[in-house]
Amino acid sequence: MIAMVDCNSFYASCEQVFRPDLWGKPVVVLSNNDGCIIAANKEAKAMTHIAMFEPMFKIKAQLIKNKVTFFSSNYTLYGEMSQRVMNILETFSPNVEVYSIDEAFIDVTGIVHTSLKQYATLIKDTIVTHTGVPVGVGIAPTKVLAKLANKISKKVEKFNYVCVIDTDEKRIKALKWAQTKDVWGLGKKHQARLKNIGVFTAYEFTQLPLAWVRKEMTVVGERLWRELRGESCIEFQTMPKSKKAIGTSKSFGKKLEDLPRIEEACAYYISEVAEVLRAQKSCATYIQVYVTTNRYSNADKQYSNSCTITIPVPTNNTFILTQHARKALQRIYTPGYRYKKVGVNLTGLIPQQYVQGNLFQSPALYDKRLMNVIDALNHKFGKATVGSALVGTRVEQWELVKKDRSNRYTTQWGELLELKNK
Amino acid sequence: MEYLETGKIKNQAPNHKASVSTQTGFPSPATHYLEPSIDLNKELIRHKDATFYVRVSGDGWADFSMLHKDVLIIDKALTPKAGNLVLIVQQGAFKVIRFPATRSSASFTVWGTITYIIHYTL
Repeated sequence: MIAMVDCNSFYASCEQVFRPDLWGKPVVVLSNNDGCIIAANKEAKAMTHIAMFEPMFKIKAQLIKNKVTFFSSNYTLYGEMSQRVMNILETFSPNVEVYSIDEAFIDVTGIVHTSLKQYATLIKDTIVTHTGVPVGVGIAPTKVLAKLANKISKKVEKFNYVCVIDTDEKRIKALKWAQTKDVWGLGKKHQARLKNIGVFTAYEFTQLPLAWVRKEMTVVGERLWRELRGESCIEFQTMPKSKKAIGTSKSFGKKLEDLPRIEEACAYYISEVAEVLRAQKSCATYIQVYVTTNRYSNADKQYSNSCTITIPVPTNNTFILTQHARKALQRIYTPGYRYKKVGVNLTGLIPQQYVQGNLFQSPALYDKRLMNVIDALNHKFGKATVGSALVGTRVEQWELVKKDRSNRYTTQWGELLELKNK
Repeated sequence: MEYLETGKIKNQAPNHKASVSTQTGFPSPATHYLEPSIDLNKELIRHKDATFYVRVSGDGWADFSMLHKDVLIIDKALTPKAGNLVLIVQQGAFKVIRFPATRSSASFTVWGTITYIIHYTL
């Protein structure tokens, strides 16, 4: 049996742990640069008259009027709280697959000392008392069913965040409850196609002939079909998969016109992604750089462009990547626009031990030790303590706006929660 | 479920090296008596993933020996017993109380049990 544990409105919940004055009140968390809402708690979602997916500048006044509290994203806090949740899950099962920052599958096969429902309740209660973050727990024989059980635990009030599908009767009831959109991994395209042939619920989907599903929805559809029927086909992955591509792009704090500032931001992002690359011991073959202006601004001329460069010998060396990124940027940069954003993507990732050199260049040309020292220094003394000089020292001119970020309560001694008393 | 530590098993810090003098080749007489140094994380924190630090501002809780700028270690995993210092939430605000022997449950929510008060003396 597999349990899917998913934190309720995770980012907003993390903020609320330290702000009891906001318990039971609407809270939203904004994207990098405070551009739009990326997370909302139950109370905020209930305010359906506010278009939560619109850019922030359009709805800010409305949020304030409705007393919705908004926070800039504080990924340092969310990451640390996530780690706590995952560590606690490890006490409940030897096999924990961390699926994302706020959800995990855990293997609960062989739990016999108590009923699964009691076990799920224990998991739920332990996490909320130990960390303050509320979760929902769904248990079922397969991953897709566990994911569905989790959804039911949250959506159907009487379940109170715990749902166990352990009999065929319960499975069928769940499938009949679920619309095709509630099935994990069933994309919009497939939903539309199923609708066309009169299939609306997960149950109806499982009643289709396998041959049809295989033909029309490939092996992916077949796997879902089998999983929903209780036959496990999606393996447990306790080791994190290496990323296939790594990228980052953030809006500037204010619009930038001149190349040097944009180069600095670009170099900074390269140093960020290169660090991730080294942490997973990969090298990148291609580097893509793109720039764009603010498409919401009617006053500005619009421009966006991207450039991809093949790196002669795949690398994870910050300095080489920066050189290539700079070349790419210079090719697409056109003066006269007010740029909103620069982004970098590293793709064609290969394990660093399989890097091939070419006739003119050996992969061992660049000394790994320098990068190791840089990573160690930055780890010890904080992000971007040392790095490429191209990053410069004028970060404040393009840095993200994080006006309403909460304290990093759990990682910075100087930012602890303060208890004021009179 | 009670448990003492959560998470992965960690290797002991390599403090047990038998130190052999490079000058004389003789082992140190303390070789078999070496122990790892005291680690406050281990001594003061029972549930790492449930422990939070908060800082007191103002002298309003001097009765609880909590002064301005003191840091409290709070363990959310513990079930408070009568007399324990606890951080509670009442009407949306944090408060410190001694946990009562009999409790009318609706009146407050326990945020966590205060296990240590770190007081700066210099």
